[in-house]
Amino acid sequence: MKNLKQIYIVFIALVLITACSDDFVYVDSEDKNSEDYFNSEQDYQDALVAAYDYLQTTSRFVQWAEVASDNTLAGGESATDTPALQQIDDMIHSEVGQFGGGTLGQMWQWMYEAINRCNYIMEFQGKEDAIDFPNKTSVIAQTRFLRAYYNFILVKWWGDVPMIEDKRIRFGDQFEIDRTPKAEVYDLIERDLIFAAANLPYVQNETGRVTKGAAQALLGKVYLYQDKFTESASVLEDLINNGPHRLLTTAEYPNMFERDWENNIESVFEVQYSDVDGGSYDCFQCLEGNYAAFFNGPRGFVDSSGLFDAGYSFNVPVQEVVDAFEEGDIRLEYSILDIKKWIEDHPGSTYDETAGYEQTGYFNRKIMARKGDLNNPDAALTNPDNYRAIRYADVLLMAAEANRKKPTPDDIKAQYYLNQVRRRAFGEPLDATAPQIHDITSTGENLYNAILKERRVELVGEGHRFFDLVRTGRAAQEIDGFQSPKNELFPIPIEEILLTGNRWEQNPGY
Amino acid sequence: MRHILLNVLAFFFIAYTSAQNVNLSGTVQDEGGMPIPGVNVIVKNTTKGSVTDFDGNFTISDVEIGSTLTFSYVGYVTYEVVIANGNDMAIVLQEDVAQLDEVVVIGYGTQTKKEITGAVSVVSNETIEKLKPTRIEQALQGQVAGVNITANSGSPGAGSTISIRGVSTNGDSRPLILVDGNVVEDLSVINPADIESMNILKDATAGIYGVRAANGVILITTKTGRKEMPLTIEYNGYMGFQQTTRKMPVLNATEYALIINEAYAAGGSTPPFSDVTNLGAGTDWQDEIFQTAPIQNHNISLRGGKEKSSYSYSGSFLTQDGIVGGKKSNFTRFTNQLTYNLDFFENFKFKSGVTLTRTNSKGLPENALGSVLFNALNIPPTLSVTDENGDYTLAEGVGAEVINPAAQISNTYNRNKIMKLYGFAGISYNFLKNFTAEANYQWNYSEVSSYSFSPIVFYGVGKVFNIDRNSVFEGFNIFRDYTFDGFVKYENTFNDEHKLNVLLATSVFKTTGVFAGRIGRDIRDNSLAFATVDEAREQENIYEELGRNPTFDARTLSYFTRVQYDYKGKYLFSAVVRRDGSTRFGPENKFGYFPSGSIGWVASDEDFLIDNNFFDLIKVRASYGILGNDRIGDYRFVSLLNGEGTYFFGGNNREDEYFGTASGPIANPEIKWEKQKTIDIGLDLRFWDNKIDITTDYFKKRTEDLLVSPAITGLLGTGAPPFVNAGVVENEGIEFAIGYSDNFSDNFKFSVKYNVTAIKNEVVEVSGDGEYLEGGGFGISQPAISRMEAGYPLGYFVGYKTDGIFQNQSEIDNAAVGEVAPQPGDFRFVDQNGDGVIDLDDRVNLGNPLPAATMGMNISFDYKNWDFAAYAFASLGNEIVRNYERNQQLVNKPNFYLNRWTGEGTSNTDPRVSIGPSANTVFSDFYVEDGSFVRLQNAQLGYTFSNKADSKFQKFRVYISGQNLFTLTEYSGYDPTAGTGAPIGGGIDQGFYPSAATYLLGVNLKF
Repeated sequence: MKNLKQIYIVFIALVLITACSDDFVYVDSEDKNSEDYFNSEQDYQDALVAAYDYLQTTSRFVQWAEVASDNTLAGGESATDTPALQQIDDMIHSEVGQFGGGTLGQMWQWMYEAINRCNYIMEFQGKEDAIDFPNKTSVIAQTRFLRAYYNFILVKWWGDVPMIEDKRIRFGDQFEIDRTPKAEVYDLIERDLIFAAANLPYVQNETGRVTKGAAQALLGKVYLYQDKFTESASVLEDLINNGPHRLLTTAEYPNMFERDWENNIESVFEVQYSDVDGGSYDCFQCLEGNYAAFFNGPRGFVDSSGLFDAGYSFNVPVQEVVDAFEEGDIRLEYSILDIKKWIEDHPGSTYDETAGYEQTGYFNRKIMARKGDLNNPDAALTNPDNYRAIRYADVLLMAAEANRKKPTPDDIKAQYYLNQVRRRAFGEPLDATAPQIHDITSTGENLYNAILKERRVELVGEGHRFFDLVRTGRAAQEIDGFQSPKNELFPIPIEEILLTGNRWEQNPGY
Repeated sequence: MRHILLNVLAFFFIAYTSAQNVNLSGTVQDEGGMPIPGVNVIVKNTTKGSVTDFDGNFTISDVEIGSTLTFSYVGYVTYEVVIANGNDMAIVLQEDVAQLDEVVVIGYGTQTKKEITGAVSVVSNETIEKLKPTRIEQALQGQVAGVNITANSGSPGAGSTISIRGVSTNGDSRPLILVDGNVVEDLSVINPADIESMNILKDATAGIYGVRAANGVILITTKTGRKEMPLTIEYNGYMGFQQTTRKMPVLNATEYALIINEAYAAGGSTPPFSDVTNLGAGTDWQDEIFQTAPIQNHNISLRGGKEKSSYSYSGSFLTQDGIVGGKKSNFTRFTNQLTYNLDFFENFKFKSGVTLTRTNSKGLPENALGSVLFNALNIPPTLSVTDENGDYTLAEGVGAEVINPAAQISNTYNRNKIMKLYGFAGISYNFLKNFTAEANYQWNYSEVSSYSFSPIVFYGVGKVFNIDRNSVFEGFNIFRDYTFDGFVKYENTFNDEHKLNVLLATSVFKTTGVFAGRIGRDIRDNSLAFATVDEAREQENIYEELGRNPTFDARTLSYFTRVQYDYKGKYLFSAVVRRDGSTRFGPENKFGYFPSGSIGWVASDEDFLIDNNFFDLIKVRASYGILGNDRIGDYRFVSLLNGEGTYFFGGNNREDEYFGTASGPIANPEIKWEKQKTIDIGLDLRFWDNKIDITTDYFKKRTEDLLVSPAITGLLGTGAPPFVNAGVVENEGIEFAIGYSDNFSDNFKFSVKYNVTAIKNEVVEVSGDGEYLEGGGFGISQPAISRMEAGYPLGYFVGYKTDGIFQNQSEIDNAAVGEVAPQPGDFRFVDQNGDGVIDLDDRVNLGNPLPAATMGMNISFDYKNWDFAAYAFASLGNEIVRNYERNQQLVNKPNFYLNRWTGEGTSNTDPRVSIGPSANTVFSDFYVEDGSFVRLQNAQLGYTFSNKADSKFQKFRVYISGQNLFTLTEYSGYDPTAGTGAPIGGGIDQGFYPSAATYLLGVNLKF
């Protein structure tokens, strides 16, 4: 009986005691808390890698901007494949139907994630108790370049955009942030790039890192977009005169967009892609590959030469851009693939001619999947082909334009920079002092037109054309269906306006 | 009740008139003539008694004539007989079919059916035995009013979605399922034959489970031995085969070629088939893919007990091939269960059980673009399965996703193995007469190892399923959890009138796990023989490399109390309060209180009704409570650095890869429990000598502070949207169940049961005005078609309404059209807002995947040695989206295209065919079908051999059984019963793996 009593006392005690205290349900995750980070250089470096990561999402902007321009059609499988893109191609896009996967809304979201990642570093590096280390300035300079790169995309596409400086946008903040005037966004972009240019070297130990040249080139471009031609000419010429870059030679040019020539001497800033990881449609922003490379290729293409993969026939160049190339321009062959000619030249090659929507027979060869990669699944999403975001040729053409347009134009310089690019294209010696056959000798407005025309053919397929037309006021005359000023900016998806408290004005005309 | 009174009166009468003692002996048998061992035979109001032996014999000496003998045995109606003489007795006990004193498990206790004040349904082991489910969800389908089961696939071992009284959240709406008190999420590991009963708590009664109760609670009790039970060995087994229930009518080769030619001509291209004369019927790809697949199941059990202990062992083996892929979609399960109960003392008892389960399942791609059945429907019938060399034919020219399904099956190698060990141990102690203290510990341990090998394979040019680099994946995840329940009960009856029952309890739950996964690439010889990560040339550890935490730890801590009171068994009252704390919520909202209560009135016990000759029971019940739901991910209240952020410096090879740090899902520090306010009013009736039994309930569940993961602005980035408490969903409905059972004679018994549930689901609010959440894909790159939006049912379909077909150009010229200019033969879409343009604003509600009503019906009768049972269920008013047409130029089509528009006046329902641009493939009501169905799920005919005196068997029965025998439906897809169960995006059919028709031959043996 005594035993029994003990048992039941123990038992009752057990019942009451096991009822552990409330501490039982206070457990920390083994993942790091984002508010308790930046305690070492490694933390900063790791956060910076994540900020670079979103450069890879910009291939969508490149592809869609090209489709929006007069260079290419949307293509794809059918008239109803990716409606948001088909509408942009036809300039009938609106604030409706641009939210979620495969829309402008998703691209908007990617850029804000990217900027949030930059601002995460900026927020903590500025705190009083932030740690210091020798490479910190470099980390901050790279971060600020990236923030400028992303903000520049936002401001080009949407104009006035919501922005906070040096602070993440966190849950709840979205109801308080207004659209920041374009001028203020540009102001931050300029400050970021000036800081980056002042604090980064022309040559980094690792390719893919932001350099001084990248910052200067982007700054020159940003000035150009604001018609600040003097400042633009100045920073671009600093880069031309002091930077390590040069044009590839005519002989080298055919390799420009090939894999073995990634991060070449002409490439001032390049977005890095890789094929080592798999990827899926569930998370486009998680891809390490360049999806656009596969999406731009011909359907059912079997290339007997072994160079190209097949693709999904998006972003197909029109006859008009092919015709824009002059006779003897070596760039045409390496910019635009004429599929019928290729098949003729490479017996045994075939492609699916009837498949695909609004096919022209031309494909964007600069960003088209090559064979020989690892093809980790999904093979359409894991192409390792880098995007040459800023090439030295672009820098020269921008310098030409800035010199032509600055208050005291320097047409001689403008001709010189322009003709460098042209001589390379036509196989003429770059350093010859004597005039060459294809040199442009005109001045004034004719020279300006020649520079813009040259930009189109030099940079076709690289996503610059649409914004060149917009910033030079020529979009309405060149792009079918383009209404000015409405289509100079893209609409903010209606859902974005509603989900932030219905406070923002839509861009005019939408 | 009246009978007992009469008996008691008779007893007194006889007791006073005689006083002579006799020695009694006899046998106790069941209705089938089988002896029942272990029956308690007691002389009423004395301590004198005996137990029947192995052959059902008993003897009791010195029994007074006129005294009453009671024969009681679990599962049988207690039988009483007044002793008139000393003759041998032959007692037949009747099986207890839903008696009022049947014990129902209600969570931390039991009540009799009569005492219950909540909406609780029971599925007994008899039902499970009749249905022969391979998974226990199948035994719930149509059996219980208010419970809806949607099979996620007909693939062997595939799971189902269980929803109790409607879908009330767009998140995880699974009910809490406890097997002997143990939380079990994956029901594939449970052997249905081990189950004694399933009790479904549908209303506020579930409030005893507090924060986890809002989606309902299913309490599963497994079989165990009984005290004083001689060793009983049972063998139950069946073997059979399975076949598809349906083949979809698609075009044969000649029809296909003609229609493709027409489509090319309409699109301005050269028709691809110049000569169609010799094509014939071509390949029937569905015949190539579907096969007859075997299934077999064996169960053996040993049960027994001694004076103070009982034990049981049960072992089972199930193996089932798939009707698609055969062994490539095999499911095999071994289970072993052991239980042991011991009474140390009269008032100190111990119970325990342990189960070891192994499952091995293989699967094929299903219900997706490019899945096996999707391919079988879309691949041209002009292609043969293999070419002249015996290699699989390449499916060229039919788009990137459609491949040869036979090749696909042969190149699929995967398996998922689960080893699960779980058990329970408990002690209970009675003290101070009215108190019981009980402590129960339940634990689970499981190892899930998954394997897949993707060999280098080429299905045709540009196919997304081509693999240029082979790889092998090996995953190994460990899950552990435990639940500790400790409680003290006080039970007393005052003045024979006031019965009081008080429970004070605590419950602790902790679940943890570790994940591991490795990928190996470049497998030697592209051969399965070398396909392991260890042997691969390149190896990658997915968790190590990313530096992510591969573990989880989630806990709840609960205190609760329940008071049950009744007055004379007529006025019933029960109240529960529970306090729960969960690691899923932040410091501000970690703890929540969940009150619930219920009342009942047994009107038939009132004086004015007690003497009526018709009603055996009239009971009115009502319950109300606030229940919680915490089924969201862990740590969603705090921002963690577990996002993806990878980049490459210095090259694009493996060694150049940098893994950065980024925040993961977006945090909301203020998240708290979802609250469900649920009301239930019920009426239970039994009449005509308990032959008719009616249960009917009205319920309304209003879920507030819904934990939704809403659409959020892109400003917050790409992290998974935070959970917010923003939304209200209502489910209102009625349930009605009626049963009739009668024993017309010893030779003929009959019973029929029917239940129906009607539910109206409405989303009242979703995080602010004019907002909706969307999901569910259709076709390629089309906008999402399913929505959760205020004023509509959860997950309704949004799309264009068609208004016939444009017959000529002038009709088009006078109509609103969209972006893609229509031609005669294309759909005319309704311009809902009358703005003259067809655009996204013209999309409207095209139906929803939720059934308006579901019902089930069981019929069974026994005639002499024969027994027959049949069971059917139905679902009415649910829509299904047909999404298995690929719409590429050269793919095959359903045969309704034979009725297509071919010129003015030819069709106003089916559009023309063309490879040119058209909006006919855009989601519209053309793709929405009525998914209502009635299915005869089971029919079984058995024969029990009469028990001979010298027989070795207590029972020997053979039966044939058919499952899923036929389905009445207008739905044109494979299987209207299937669905993904996704609250938003459910009901979209991309080629469901249909549930098979199964034919079984089985035997039941009892030694």
